[in-house]
Amino acid sequence: MIVFSEVVKRYPGGHTALDGISLEIERGEMVFLTGHSGAGKSTLLKLIAAIERPTAGLVTVNGQNVGRLNRHAVPYLRRNIGLVFQDHKLLFDRSVMENTILPLMIAGATRREALKRARAALDKVGLLEREKSMPITLSGGEQQRLCIARAIVSRPALLLVDEPTGNLDAEYAAVILGLFQDFHQVGATIVIATHDERALALPRTRTVHLELGRLA
Amino acid sequence: MMRWLRYHRHAFLLALRRWLGNPYAALFATLAMAAALALPGSLYLGYANLAQLGGRLPAQPQITLYLKADIDGATLARLRQRLMHDGELASARFVSKTDALAQLQADGLANPLAGLSDNPLPDAWVLTPKDPSPGALAHLSREYANWPGVDQISSDRMWAERLAAALALVQTLALFIAALFAIALGAIAGNTIRSATLARREEIQVSRLIGASDAYLRLPYLYQGLLQGLAAGAATLLILALLMSLLDGPVGTLSALYGSRYSLLFLSPSQQALLVCFPALFSWLGAWLSVTRTLHRVDRPSS
Repeated sequence: MIVFSEVVKRYPGGHTALDGISLEIERGEMVFLTGHSGAGKSTLLKLIAAIERPTAGLVTVNGQNVGRLNRHAVPYLRRNIGLVFQDHKLLFDRSVMENTILPLMIAGATRREALKRARAALDKVGLLEREKSMPITLSGGEQQRLCIARAIVSRPALLLVDEPTGNLDAEYAAVILGLFQDFHQVGATIVIATHDERALALPRTRTVHLELGRLA
Repeated sequence: MMRWLRYHRHAFLLALRRWLGNPYAALFATLAMAAALALPGSLYLGYANLAQLGGRLPAQPQITLYLKADIDGATLARLRQRLMHDGELASARFVSKTDALAQLQADGLANPLAGLSDNPLPDAWVLTPKDPSPGALAHLSREYANWPGVDQISSDRMWAERLAAALALVQTLALFIAALFAIALGAIAGNTIRSATLARREEIQVSRLIGASDAYLRLPYLYQGLLQGLAAGAATLLILALLMSLLDGPVGTLSALYGSRYSLLFLSPSQQALLVCFPALFSWLGAWLSVTRTLHRVDRPSS
């Protein structure tokens, strides 16, 4: 589903985040990307979602060269990808519910259908009773879970997750990882960047280790 | 199709909420745009009213010969003979002093004469030359001036032409100013929308990350521009209506002093509709330019 071949990503200013990565992720796989901060985990995720473009090499998702994707095609790629950000990227001027339904509204769902699916997603992350709250009133862990609800609400075939358990206590970390596993069970492809050792104890998962922009 | 309608409904409601959610910004932008529109609008109204007055003047160039009050019958008959057979005239019409007074009374302009015991108006010949050029008019006027029995000559076409020229000037000026203010209008609207988009920079970034296209992001701002323009057009209409009602009294008094009844001309319904739609169009254009520019600047991936 995802193929990296000889991918180099150099940021303006000269920092080389990825240095000749070749990697293949099959449909339905659950992959952990590990490595120290600055090893290139976030950059790798950004290249898959066309948030960044490779300096050299080829990144394809479902056979599409996402590095050369037309500007107008990018939104349609992203609608099939659920993104969980390290910094959550919530909209603080609207409620938990309005944040959750945003991807569905963008995809053109009816409001009634969107509300129904958003409640299911919020229920999964344990935030259903907070649907009318504003994100600013949520704890760091709750904001993280809201971000996850927003990522899974449109049931994407591919979920890209950046440091999901960093802000969570052990109990909720297990719940969230269980959530990703459930999602994996129903056929989604999941790539999780983490340096959390707890995550790596999960069965039937593959680990890709990055070090200074190279596979190790 | 349903999805398209949903997008538009959603964007429109969002625009309405944002617009009304910031009433002072909306009010000031509306006032600025309406003030900018009222200037060419009132200039146009002035033009339309003067043109309406001018339109009552003869369209054909005419020369009027006013005859001496003490003219004798033989001279009058010779004059008639010469004018009726003049090859350079298309028509020649005799207006007696009695007819002239009756005409003035019909026009409601006879009041200044009401106090006089006898009719002070002269007999006259109204002539229409075959050649309507100013040169031919001047030539004929000079010739008739030397005829016996002729007191004064006026060529009423002359000041009508001057009025038409002045009106053409005003019209050109109004169009030019309207064009300038259309640009100003687009700029005001664009600037309002620009601050709106910059305030929502983060929302634009996040929405993009979860699959929003530029068209989707642009739509609410376009509606906001449209609403802004419609409000400005409606406000301009109100300002002009207010101006007319303020002027209506003085103009009525003035025309009454001349023994006439002149009522001011306002915009026709189609012109009123145009006045509301035109700013809406330019405001929409301004919004489109500024939101497209912002979308291009926010968050382009590096490579």
